[in-house]
Amino acid sequence: MKTHKLRSWKAAVVLAVAAAAVAVWATTSLAASGAVKPVKVAIMTDCKGAFAFGYEEDIGGAQGAFARFAGGVTKSHAKPSAGMTGIKAGQTPIQIVGYGCGNDTVPLAVTETKRLMEKLNADVEIGPLSGDEAVYTANYAKAHPTKVFIIGTAGSQDPTMQIHPNNMFRYHGDGAQWNAGIGEIAYKKLGWRKAAIIEDDYSFGWTSAAGMIADFCAVGGDIVKRVFAPLNTTDYAPFVRQLPPPNQVDGYFSTIGGTGTSAMLKAFEQAYGKPEPKQWIGNLFFGFLGADKVVAPKFVGSYVGGFGNAPGVHTPTMDAYRAFMNKLYPKLPADDGFVYNYYMAAWALVQGLQKAPGATGAKLDAALPRAIKGAPFQLSGGGVLHLDSRRQAIQDEYQLQLVKNPDGSVGPTVVAYVPTVDQSFGGLFTPSSPPPGRTQPPCKKVVTPWQGKIQVVTNGKVTTQVIK
Amino acid sequence: MNPASWTRRQQVERTIAAVALVLVIIWPAAGFSSYWTHQILIETFLFGIAASSLIFLSAYGGMVSLAQTALFGIAGIILGNIATKGGPGGTSKGLHLGWDPTLALIVAIVGTTIIGLIGGAVASRSTGIYFLMITLTYSVIATYTLGQVTKISGFSGIGGINRYTPGWIGNLLAHPNRLYYIALGTAIVVYVLIRLVIRTPFGISLQGVRDEPIRMSSLGYAVPLHRTLAFGFAAFIAALAGVLYAWWAGQVAPGDVDLPQTISLLIMAVIGGLIRIEGAWVGAFAFIIMQNYITSNTHVPLLGFGGTLFGGSFNTIIGIIFLVIVVVSPDGLMGLWGRIFETRHRPDTGESPPTPAAEPAN
Repeated sequence: MKTHKLRSWKAAVVLAVAAAAVAVWATTSLAASGAVKPVKVAIMTDCKGAFAFGYEEDIGGAQGAFARFAGGVTKSHAKPSAGMTGIKAGQTPIQIVGYGCGNDTVPLAVTETKRLMEKLNADVEIGPLSGDEAVYTANYAKAHPTKVFIIGTAGSQDPTMQIHPNNMFRYHGDGAQWNAGIGEIAYKKLGWRKAAIIEDDYSFGWTSAAGMIADFCAVGGDIVKRVFAPLNTTDYAPFVRQLPPPNQVDGYFSTIGGTGTSAMLKAFEQAYGKPEPKQWIGNLFFGFLGADKVVAPKFVGSYVGGFGNAPGVHTPTMDAYRAFMNKLYPKLPADDGFVYNYYMAAWALVQGLQKAPGATGAKLDAALPRAIKGAPFQLSGGGVLHLDSRRQAIQDEYQLQLVKNPDGSVGPTVVAYVPTVDQSFGGLFTPSSPPPGRTQPPCKKVVTPWQGKIQVVTNGKVTTQVIK
Repeated sequence: MNPASWTRRQQVERTIAAVALVLVIIWPAAGFSSYWTHQILIETFLFGIAASSLIFLSAYGGMVSLAQTALFGIAGIILGNIATKGGPGGTSKGLHLGWDPTLALIVAIVGTTIIGLIGGAVASRSTGIYFLMITLTYSVIATYTLGQVTKISGFSGIGGINRYTPGWIGNLLAHPNRLYYIALGTAIVVYVLIRLVIRTPFGISLQGVRDEPIRMSSLGYAVPLHRTLAFGFAAFIAALAGVLYAWWAGQVAPGDVDLPQTISLLIMAVIGGLIRIEGAWVGAFAFIIMQNYITSNTHVPLLGFGGTLFGGSFNTIIGIIFLVIVVVSPDGLMGLWGRIFETRHRPDTGESPPTPAAEPAN
């Protein structure tokens, strides 16, 4: 008798728990239907390797857009990676499911992307940071058409030119676009005719160099030597020795980045003596030289390739952006492309979800904007950033020069404005042309769409004067 | 295989193995986490295969090889260069030969085995630390060749390999469970193959070469030839793992064969136990679980050291675990299991446990 009572007691408890579970499930599913399902977003960036500094900057940039346009509330004003809540794009809640931590190599990009998109089940990835991670992500995107990818700040050409999956978008220029105009400046303002180039031996280094080479050769310049240094090299002596000495060329282009920029320039000084600033043009990484107090003063006067943003130039839209970002995350440099490019990606996502609430997959691909009005650093077309047919941005570019600031620090200032730069460089780069590499592009004289249209920028103002 | 003749330990182990096998076979259909199916378990199978090639050489050949990761990557790169196509809609890097994927698969496996045989022939007259250093050199050569020879690889490697699979395998992207079963099947085949090989006359004499190379040589056995063939066999196994990895990740890059990855494979083998082949999958599973659940975002108090200095918490933790295993149980988890079993077995029956020499070779 006792066992019988015990058994039925146990059965009663089990039934009660089951009934409660069913009741809870019924009520939550009834409550959930009618509300828009949250869209899960993962932000992929680097926290290790040469671009580890990009981690907080990228997350801060993306969350900045979420805060400004989707009511997001940041958990910490000092550390963006602490998180953000309350993001709602129109009717669609946005849930940040995770932050990816790469080290600019492919194997870690593989595990992190799978972790974000498959374990955490993100619908959208904003990122990645680095060129070769983006080449992997583009191939991954092609294999996973139900996910949406908005490139963060990766500047390799392949993802939107050669691979161009339908579910991948880039709202900033690639590495080549960022350098549009710099070659023409070298030819016309500095009188360079023969130049050598030293590149980081990977997708972004090649793409950035492709912009310099294409632009310089287009107006009639000649690249006499190309030198390639593996990424994360620490000793640049063997590589600078491969460059022709300063009396045999008019100048040097450089796309060495991350921690390698000052190391390479120091090695050059040791090999060939005191450098002449007007003989050096670097890509965007020269803009970070200011942090190296020993090397930077020696390159005051060197021209610097752009990053799609315009530090020191003031328009109401640009200043409103800067003011908002400085208030939200005071420690982040709002003018830094690592912040700005992620901001644009997140803003595009917000606009897409405002247009199509709760959309994911192909619906979101269709809803993401093909033009963004009021993009802070766009001046052409009334300040509208357009995407081309492969979902790649056609961006205004700014070329800079290293100057000594009043406080003694060295930093880049905008000296030239190059309107409406497209990824193809006027037909030089096409989906069937090989991606930038050691021999691509060849040195060819062509007419780029902005040739002869580069406007001088003085004291933060774009003038009508054209560089001749 | 007569169950009646199994020792108590073999009974327990084989029961556990059978249960585990049934579990992994039904796993995808049972509807458990697809992240476990498509990431954790597939990685365990394929890295276990790669680790088993290392453990085979170490346990039965007496050679600790650091070249297995390089061979693993070479197979993937050969497959990538031969199978992928360029042009619009294709992939962006590599030779883009665009051959039939089945032929590419055969060339990748056979090619890697041949490279292994050549490498083995060069290293076969060295032993111990010198052998280790030669295989480390192979690893470094592979890293720099893949990194610098941009025609065949370059920094970003070859991508999109999983879009070009043989017809008889079908579209792995549309049917991800297929890769799971292919990886599982290959792991089982590799395990059985290694167990068979060590029982053949070649395998027995290889173990003789491991223990007493001078005596074997004076008895007339060609010691370098044995080592070369063993290395070639291990290269074949590593090639299988490399091909599976190329299909799973889709991209093979120099970062997959560099020094940290080489050491990761060694850590998997050591954690599992360099003495037993089963250790390969046990070690791979343990390592991958830790790698997936202790990411760089997990800031374990006191171990974070500010993040980048120690490469993030995961590297610190895995390093500490590795150190603990090497000190407490140099034979890894399999050795630990063996000792736990021995200590538990003794009080039960009152009999003394079988001495290691009397136990049949596993």
